[in-house]
Amino acid sequence: MASSSSTGSGTLVAERRGIPGAQFVEDVQTYLTQLGLDVNSSLSFLQERLQQYKLVEMKLLAQQRDLQAKIPDIEKCLDVVATLQAKKGTGEALTADFEVSEGIYSRAKIEEADSVCLWLGANVMLEYSLEEATDLLQKNLDNAKASLEVLVTDLQFLRDQVTITQVTIARVYNWDVHQRRIRQVGAPPSQD
Amino acid sequence: MQQGGGSETEVTWEDQQNINKFGRLNNRFHELEDEIKFAKESNENLEDASNELIITDEEVVRFQIGEVFAHVSKDEVENRIEEMKEVTSHKLEKLEEEKESVLAQMSELKKILYGKFKDSINLEEE
Repeated sequence: MASSSSTGSGTLVAERRGIPGAQFVEDVQTYLTQLGLDVNSSLSFLQERLQQYKLVEMKLLAQQRDLQAKIPDIEKCLDVVATLQAKKGTGEALTADFEVSEGIYSRAKIEEADSVCLWLGANVMLEYSLEEATDLLQKNLDNAKASLEVLVTDLQFLRDQVTITQVTIARVYNWDVHQRRIRQVGAPPSQD
Repeated sequence: MQQGGGSETEVTWEDQQNINKFGRLNNRFHELEDEIKFAKESNENLEDASNELIITDEEVVRFQIGEVFAHVSKDEVENRIEEMKEVTSHKLEKLEEEKESVLAQMSELKKILYGKFKDSINLEEE
C-alpha cells in the first residue's frame, strides 16, 4: 500500500489534481541564482507554499473523514436489505424495535417485504425492489471506496510535496548559516 | 520531523525520496495504530456479547442491524457473532502484519539516512 507513487525518472511530477509539485533543489546556490532570489525571499516563498499545502491537506483530510463515515453507513443499509431478503419467502415476519424519536422505541412487524424506500437526498425518496436496492447500494459503496482510494493517493502526493518543501527550507536555512559563518571567520569553520 | 542536512552534506534526489518514503511510512504507521486499536475494541465487544449470550435465558434477543434492533433467535445471533468475530480477528491479523512490515521498512530507511546524515537528521518522534 505504501509503495512509492511519485518516483518517476528522477524528476518530479509537475502537479496532481491542481496541487503543484514541489521543486527538488539539487544545489542551494544554483537554485537561488537561477531564481534571482536572496535567502530571505526564497524562505518566505517556501513558507507560503508550505502553508498552502497545509490548507489543501486539511481540506483533503475532511473529505477523507466524510468518506470514511459514509462507507459504514452504506454497509449498514446493505445489511438491513440483506436481512429483509433473507426473511422473504420464509413466511416469518421480521420483528424489530426501532427508534421513533430520540430515546423512544416502538415495535414493528415487517411481513413479506418486497421493496424498500431509499432516501436519495434532496428531499427525494424512492421505492426499490430489494434486488434493485442492493444493486444501488452496492454501486454507491464501490464508488465511495474508489473515491477514498483516489483521495488517499492525493494525500500521499501532497505529503511528499510537504516533506520536500520542509527539507528545502531546512537546507536553504543551513546553507545561509554556513555562508554567514564563512564570511565571519573568513575561512571555513574548523569545528562544526 | 526532518531537520535537513548539516551545511556540508549534499542532499540528493535519492535521499529526498528516501525521506519522503519515510514520512509516508510514518504516517501509515500512525493510521495503523488507530485501526488496530479500533479492531481490538470491536473484537472485545464481540467477545463480551457472546459471553452475555451464554448467560442469558432469553430465547429471542435483540440484535442490532443497521439502526434497528431485530428480534433474532439466540442460536442465530450466536452464529452471526461468531462470523463477525472471525472477520474482525482476520482483519486485526492483517493490520498487525502490515504494521510489522512498515516498522521494518522504517528501520531500514533509518539505517540509510542516519548513515549518511549522522545527527544532522532527526527521524524520531517528538
